[in-house]
Amino acid sequence: MRDILFNLIISLLSGIFMCLIVLPLVALFTTTSWSELAGQFKSPLIVSAVIISFQTSLAVLLAALVFGLPVAYLLAMKNFPGKEILDTLIDLPICMPPLVAGLGLLILLGGESKFGVFLNSRGVDLIFSKPGIVMAQLFVAGPFLIKSSRQAFEAVNKNVTQASRCLGASEFHTFRKVLLPLARNGIYAGMIMTWARALGEFGATSMVAGCIPGRTETMTQAIFGYAMSGEMGSSIAIALLLIVFSFTSLLVFKSRIRKQLPGA
Amino acid sequence: MNIVLRQISKSFHGRPVLENLDLKVAPGEFHVLLGPSGGGKTTMVSVIAGLTKPDSGSVLINDRDVSLLPPGKRKIGLVFQDCAIFPHLDVFDNIAYGLRVRKQGEANIRQKLKYYLEKTGLEKEKHKFPHQLSGGQKQRTALLRTLVTEPEVLLLDEPMSSLDILTREQISAELVNIQRKTGLTTIYVTHNQAEAFSLGDRISVLHNGKIEQIETPEELFYHPKTEFVARFVGINNILKAKVAATSRREAVMEITNEGLSQSFKLKVKNYPVFKKGEAINLCLHPEKINLSKKNAAIDGGLNRICGKIIKRTNHGNTFKVTVDIRGLALHAVIPKFLFNFQVYEEVWVVFAPDALHPLCGRRCRAPEFSRKCHNDLLTY
Repeated sequence: MRDILFNLIISLLSGIFMCLIVLPLVALFTTTSWSELAGQFKSPLIVSAVIISFQTSLAVLLAALVFGLPVAYLLAMKNFPGKEILDTLIDLPICMPPLVAGLGLLILLGGESKFGVFLNSRGVDLIFSKPGIVMAQLFVAGPFLIKSSRQAFEAVNKNVTQASRCLGASEFHTFRKVLLPLARNGIYAGMIMTWARALGEFGATSMVAGCIPGRTETMTQAIFGYAMSGEMGSSIAIALLLIVFSFTSLLVFKSRIRKQLPGA
Repeated sequence: MNIVLRQISKSFHGRPVLENLDLKVAPGEFHVLLGPSGGGKTTMVSVIAGLTKPDSGSVLINDRDVSLLPPGKRKIGLVFQDCAIFPHLDVFDNIAYGLRVRKQGEANIRQKLKYYLEKTGLEKEKHKFPHQLSGGQKQRTALLRTLVTEPEVLLLDEPMSSLDILTREQISAELVNIQRKTGLTTIYVTHNQAEAFSLGDRISVLHNGKIEQIETPEELFYHPKTEFVARFVGINNILKAKVAATSRREAVMEITNEGLSQSFKLKVKNYPVFKKGEAINLCLHPEKINLSKKNAAIDGGLNRICGKIIKRTNHGNTFKVTVDIRGLALHAVIPKFLFNFQVYEEVWVVFAPDALHPLCGRRCRAPEFSRKCHNDLLTY
């Protein structure tokens, strides 16, 4: 009897939470028609926002792989002084409000810091530019890849990597041939989370790159901008596109994981 | 290839795991590291393999100091307790891994592996992934993966601990066969004393980061140096004694163990270390004890003490019997066909003077005539 009651409560609470996720999505999908949607995507500003978002989020993904995987490897496989501090610093952007991150980047890259002055003197201006968007998104989304990859590296049986070393493989060979293949699911998960977070990033991007339509306006900024100016049709169209992309990529990832060999 | 460890020390978080450890393993020797869990065995192997950096000391392989070399440059082969075969590679690719690292040609690898796979009965399994293999097949794969790289030294870290007894015996036999044929210097880690005695040319007993004794299996069993070694190899009868009298061949010992309601005397073969009035620990082998219903004088030289059976456990073809003698628990291993007693029955515990020996290892080995005497008594 108690078990039935317990299961009922669990189901009820889960149902309430699922409603919180599903109902706003249903609201979005039911307030527009396919023909209206198709019409919205003819607008060059919306197309530009979509393109900028995909360009910058994919650049973020690439940069996170290049710079984030080594950090994840260091944290997972090595012991060094200050490891705890580095680990906490990596977590900080996840907890920090994106606006704060944006403010920090704005000061660093703008003309008010020595670094900003140094960049400007060499003709590099990251403020109100696509590279600025990438930096802002990388700051906010990069830690997701690092955390997920680190956990995946740590989950690989240490004896397996040590066996590779004893068989004569270098550390790099072991990383490439043993660690990466065995940690790939965790890395893929981190990639998806990083990409999705970068795609949906708003606060830091707005601070660093502004919302210049056709130049630095991303999809999330366009959603906000159109909604604030009363153009709900355009706002909904971009929002639906974001949802479809996020849902599809997560679905593809999950089905891929299911196809993996057990133990691999 | 010989292996020499000089003054190896290693601590983890301030807790010493290995302390000034010295060891010499002769070329072609099958050396067993025996000890309880947490004794430092795996750390020691890890230090030899180069996977753990010692705090101090050096490792020499074939008189070459390899202390600063990475694992791959030490020419060692290491087989792990959990096999550690690569889960994303099939049997063939697992075994070929080391050869590919050494950039041996693919044709050469195929030819070499064909020979080994056929020889070990893994040919049919070569395209299977680790999760599709049995425990024995996994261990064979791990062993083969190591052996095909032709290491100079083979290290095995409790490789049989997760296998059933039949597979363990089968793989042990294969391993000994390979080791004898190749003359590969081998260090084998185990906590199983039966495995250590059956495999090792010599055994090192490791306890709390220190080697308590290094001996051949025979010497270790019959001449343990310390109480720990004696108990670990299965001799639980440790008697605290005081030398009451000595003659040329025999000594009389007064047993004074804690918990004894009344001390008693025993005749023991005389050892050079016995000095009248001095205290010494004696070890009484359980398999050298006989039980008798009557206090009959079978042989004038035998010790006879009255006690009561308090426990009997079944060990296949033998019983392990615990007899209470005035508050002292003595353990005896009696063949089943000789056991016709009941628990709580009073019995006479009978053993020869040379069933006891002092705990001081080889240096106080029994004189030759005593051991001959002991052999005669065993036929009794």
